[in-house]
Amino acid sequence: MLTYVVHRLLVMIPTLIAISLIIFIIIQLPPGDYFESYIAELQSQGESVDMAKIEFLRKEYGFDQPILVQYAHWALGMLQGDFGYSFEYRLPVSEVVGDRLYLTALISIITIIFTWIVSFPIGIYSAVRQYSWGDYTLSFLGFVGLATPNFLLALVLIYIANVFFGTSIGGLMEPQYIGKPWTLEKIGSVMEHIWIPVVVIGTSGTAGMIRRLRANLLDELEKQYVVTGRAKGLPPIKLLLKYPFRIALNFFFADIGTILPSIISGAAVVEIVLSLPTTGPMLLTALRSQDMYLAGSFLMFLAFLTVVGVLVSDLALAALDPRIRLQGGATR
Amino acid sequence: MSVAQGGADAGQARHYVSQEPFDPHSVEQLAPEQERYYMASQWQLMWWKLRRHRVAVFCGILLLFMYGSVLVSEILAPYQLHSRHTNYIYSPPQSVHLFHDGEFIGPFVYGWSYRLDMETLRRNYSEDRSTVHRLRFLCLGDKYDFWGVIPGRFHLVCPPEGATLFLLGTDRLGRDMLSRIIYGARISLTIGLIGITISFSLGLVIGGMAGYYGGRIDSVVQRVIEIFRSFPELPLWMALSAILPVTWSPILIYFGITAILGLLDWTGLARAVRSKLLSLREEDYCTAAMLMGARPRRIIARHLLPGFMSHLIASATLSIPTMILGETALSFLGLGLRPPITSWGVLLNEAQNINVVALYPWLMLPVVPVIVLILAFNFFGDGLRDAADPYR
Amino acid sequence: MRLLGRVLFLPIALLVLLSVAGRASAIDLVETPSLAARVATGELPPVAERLPETPLVVDLDGPEQSLGEPGGTLKILMGRQKDIRMMTVYGYARLVGYDRNLNIVPDILESYEQQGLRRFTFHLRKGHRWSDGQPFTAEDFRYFWEDVANNEELSPFGPPKTMVVDGEAPRFEVLDKYTVRYTWTNPNPYFLPALAGARPLYIYMPAHYMKQFHVRYADPDKLARLIEETHTRNWAGLHHRMDEQYRQDNVDMPNLQPWRNVTPSPAERYVFERNPYFHKVDSAGHQLPYIDRVIVNIADSSLIPAKAGFGESDLQARYIRFDHYTFLKRGAKQNDFDVRLWHTARGAQIALYPNLNAADPVWRDVLRDVRFRRALSLAIDRELINQVLYFGLARPSANTVLPKSPLFEPAYRDAWAEFDLETANRLLDDMGLTDWSGGIRRLPDGRRLQVIVDTAGESTEESDALELIKSDWRRIGVELFTKPSQREVFRNRVFAGSAIMSVWTGLENGVPTADMAPIELAPTAQDQLEWPKWGEYYQTEHASGEAPDMPEVQRLVELNRAWRYADSTDERRDIWHKMLAIHADQVFTIGVVNGVPQPVVVSRALRNVPEDGLYNWDPGAYFGIYHPDTFWLTAARREAVE
Repeated sequence: MLTYVVHRLLVMIPTLIAISLIIFIIIQLPPGDYFESYIAELQSQGESVDMAKIEFLRKEYGFDQPILVQYAHWALGMLQGDFGYSFEYRLPVSEVVGDRLYLTALISIITIIFTWIVSFPIGIYSAVRQYSWGDYTLSFLGFVGLATPNFLLALVLIYIANVFFGTSIGGLMEPQYIGKPWTLEKIGSVMEHIWIPVVVIGTSGTAGMIRRLRANLLDELEKQYVVTGRAKGLPPIKLLLKYPFRIALNFFFADIGTILPSIISGAAVVEIVLSLPTTGPMLLTALRSQDMYLAGSFLMFLAFLTVVGVLVSDLALAALDPRIRLQGGATR
Repeated sequence: MSVAQGGADAGQARHYVSQEPFDPHSVEQLAPEQERYYMASQWQLMWWKLRRHRVAVFCGILLLFMYGSVLVSEILAPYQLHSRHTNYIYSPPQSVHLFHDGEFIGPFVYGWSYRLDMETLRRNYSEDRSTVHRLRFLCLGDKYDFWGVIPGRFHLVCPPEGATLFLLGTDRLGRDMLSRIIYGARISLTIGLIGITISFSLGLVIGGMAGYYGGRIDSVVQRVIEIFRSFPELPLWMALSAILPVTWSPILIYFGITAILGLLDWTGLARAVRSKLLSLREEDYCTAAMLMGARPRRIIARHLLPGFMSHLIASATLSIPTMILGETALSFLGLGLRPPITSWGVLLNEAQNINVVALYPWLMLPVVPVIVLILAFNFFGDGLRDAADPYR
Repeated sequence: MRLLGRVLFLPIALLVLLSVAGRASAIDLVETPSLAARVATGELPPVAERLPETPLVVDLDGPEQSLGEPGGTLKILMGRQKDIRMMTVYGYARLVGYDRNLNIVPDILESYEQQGLRRFTFHLRKGHRWSDGQPFTAEDFRYFWEDVANNEELSPFGPPKTMVVDGEAPRFEVLDKYTVRYTWTNPNPYFLPALAGARPLYIYMPAHYMKQFHVRYADPDKLARLIEETHTRNWAGLHHRMDEQYRQDNVDMPNLQPWRNVTPSPAERYVFERNPYFHKVDSAGHQLPYIDRVIVNIADSSLIPAKAGFGESDLQARYIRFDHYTFLKRGAKQNDFDVRLWHTARGAQIALYPNLNAADPVWRDVLRDVRFRRALSLAIDRELINQVLYFGLARPSANTVLPKSPLFEPAYRDAWAEFDLETANRLLDDMGLTDWSGGIRRLPDGRRLQVIVDTAGESTEESDALELIKSDWRRIGVELFTKPSQREVFRNRVFAGSAIMSVWTGLENGVPTADMAPIELAPTAQDQLEWPKWGEYYQTEHASGEAPDMPEVQRLVELNRAWRYADSTDERRDIWHKMLAIHADQVFTIGVVNGVPQPVVVSRALRNVPEDGLYNWDPGAYFGIYHPDTFWLTAARREAVE
């Protein structure tokens, strides 16, 4: 076990290096750099550009140096905890990302809980009463969320929320509460706004979860021990929840690897439509304007979380499921 | 056949063995159905199981219709894709009536025109109940180039002479939405197919290699998969879209986008293939084949794959909706197809503003075929997977 | 004795009164209510001492304007954090600025003199202070000139380009505490317009604040500490980071605008507080601005029309397009705002730019033939486009100046701008493009006459107009394809000559006066889409690009140069007309419509906002020339608690 963990940790290093190279290349891929797109943007609006300042910034951040030097500069900086400077916001990257991380995590966690609450009953019902009308109806509801394009649904919900409930358009709370300390009204305002992203993002996730839960549960329900339990007279609900359900949850631990970074990155498209102060829109703007440090460092952070997450989930699976330990491989 | 009686021990009980001729097949008589069942190939079994799953069959037929319509979009659409009616901008859907003044006439529309409200700059459309325009069926209407090659004018339904037939309304240039949706299907439906082919092939090859050879190759492939999955979609989409040269024609860009969607999707399939192969290659029949000297390629293709091909196909079917949604998301981000190419993603992107939601909601109708298609694919794919499952 | 007292009482009283009131001329000053508390505690001096000795007195007795009452909070929406720089644009406190008739008048300056555009003498207002109470004097100009613009580490490329004429920097003199002078040997007609620009040329900086970041004045240890704290490389980097007067992201930096930003970044909601030392008063003695606070909420630009339509902004034109009008009108009644229609001032809302520097030699010759450009222009049904896109409310026109400009002539507007397919076809036939195949003409080398128009893909108006133009051009045998791409790619393609035609907005400044520079009419910058390489040639001062080889363009270059040395407004006007006439004749750019209405959302509680105004970047500064510091809120709104 220990050697396995050490081996995985060692393997993580080249993986992360490869990822950082890919990220860097991806950001540099579109032609030009931040300053060129900045100049293009200003000139297209007819604004004049302070060329002196731009040339100065260019020199200071080494944009006239070869690509490899820029990469080394960024990578080594990250190792020392310096995530670089965002030209778009004119602030260090850590300050730009700071608050947004908490909000993103908040929304993501609430969304995940919502998804679980919706998909578990539907998944269980689907497995137990397969092919019944109830199964089809509930699955239909679960899938409709997946089928509707998120961005359109979000816009429609914003409009409906405003017309029927008077909720202000977009954002996470009424504008006057931004930046103010937390009061009861502020929390109420956040609740008023937060259900839209939770519903939109959550419903698109329910379908996948329902399907997986149902498939795994169906597998388990065929097994011998269930038959035995039923024969021995265990009440059906208890039988269902105590044994097969828990084993079907196996795949959650495999999912930790992907849940972790998704908590941080959120669902970018919906957040953009709703104008939420989270990391998704920030990342998109950074990529569009080629704000290299902001985009690169944040992506690196996400990649790091994924790699760590995958490791944690593999370890958790190994710890929880003795079959894996003894067989030495994943069951899926 | 007689068997030697008794033998050395005279005190033992004597077996009774009938000397009558015996036909083993007479006992275990297989009914014709059973015989068919046992002799049926894997695919036939799947088909029989699928047939019993009514919803899946229904969805399958629906999908067939939708894909069929792609072949004859020009004929189904009342108008040609690019036809504009600058006198009917932002027209709401027209209603088709059957009875006029209590009399049954057949499908027709009333005269349709608007008054411009200069206060709000809004066009207010209304029916002119005095003029009756019958619809024409199987008629000659707008000119088109069938599949871009053969000129033609034949339509299933045409607007009446001198009148309009906007069943789903028009957009800001006066283009008929129903026709646009029908033409859009051609792009949206086929993007999924091509994308899935790419990701399917990639997943199969890479996952197959990893699963079969194991060891070094396996861990390298696993790392690559990990790298792919650790990327949030957004930057990968943006980067790959940036690679597409601007000088490409719309058709090439279309293929480029499908390639992108396919390239990003193969990891799930590869993992499934890999894990299945890892377990299956320990099976006896595989060892037997290896001992008989079969090459790895033959073993994988001929012996291992068929074991779970059905499962793979079901997974692939379930990935197509992701591609279609991916195309709409790319259009939203401005990275995907753009006008003048018309796809459902492009149509939805044009509907993505407050004007449409508040004032012209019929422009959001392309979302209906998207939902229907994705639901159909999902139910059909679920049915396929259940049918392919050998354990039930 | 008593008699003497009585006789002398009145004149002495008058003298006393005059000396007290003398500080702010003859108006009775009224203390600003929201600052009264701070004045009472002594934190702020009373209003008479906060204003300069001769403040700018604004007369608000016009037909659309009225005297207001100070107080209240204004809410506006912006799309990104960077957009808070718009508050400097809207505030429009400039050394000299444009008034509503686009004349340059002194604003921060009390007065100025100029001789032949060579010598500018600026007189500051005595007692004018920065927003932190420190005096605004010639030292701030000197610091900028000597310690910033001419400091090699801070400005490695030298002083701002607008201040360098024919390679010569001005001679700068401080005449006294409140007077500075700039002198050139050659005229600099760009100087004053640059100072009055929406994004102004800054020739001053708060010396008392910036000196702490300058190696010449700062305590070396403190400087080193600041450099470390801010993670900058050296003192120059630190200075550059701190000196952003335009973007207002340094909340500690004092400025002269009516409102200043007090919210540090990053934020989603920025608060701009009134500047207690602003130099303007109204004729009733209230120190401007009327409005106490402006709150800028940041929201995604695609949501801003929706938010404005539900009353979340008191004054909004940015990110609102003409096609949002109907939606805004619908929300206007319930949400207590009006939607006014101002007018944009671009030379053309949509203009086609044949690339005279196209790389393809065949196309280059075709595009350079004036008959081709004229034919394309004649074959556009501008009336139809006007009807379809703008309900007929815009004006079909070539890409030229607007009627509001004193330089306007109907001939410029109508030049080759009628819808005349016959003449267009005839012109193309005259050119020798008589080879047809499948309804499309052929180029001299046999290829189909397919015009591929590059767009940046950002505007649905553009793509809609191109759709309509496409069918028109088909009737003269020209096929049109659009090629959308990203903005930088679009620009690069045009600059390199790979794009043979592009579409963009027309003249940036469609309301010039004779004294504004005609730089858009001659090759002066690379981003002029009709002749990028020639523009590059002049922008880089002959270092790269190509010299123009068309006689008409060379003439434009000469005229542009002559304008610079012209001695009188009449001469300049003459040159303008010559240049405009060449453009009208040569159709270097093909304009479609101009004068497109711009919806402006104005809260019903907001006063002094014009019914119909010019919505333009420069000149105009969007709301700037209408001076938002004179806008005021009704009493009900002022009392509402935010």
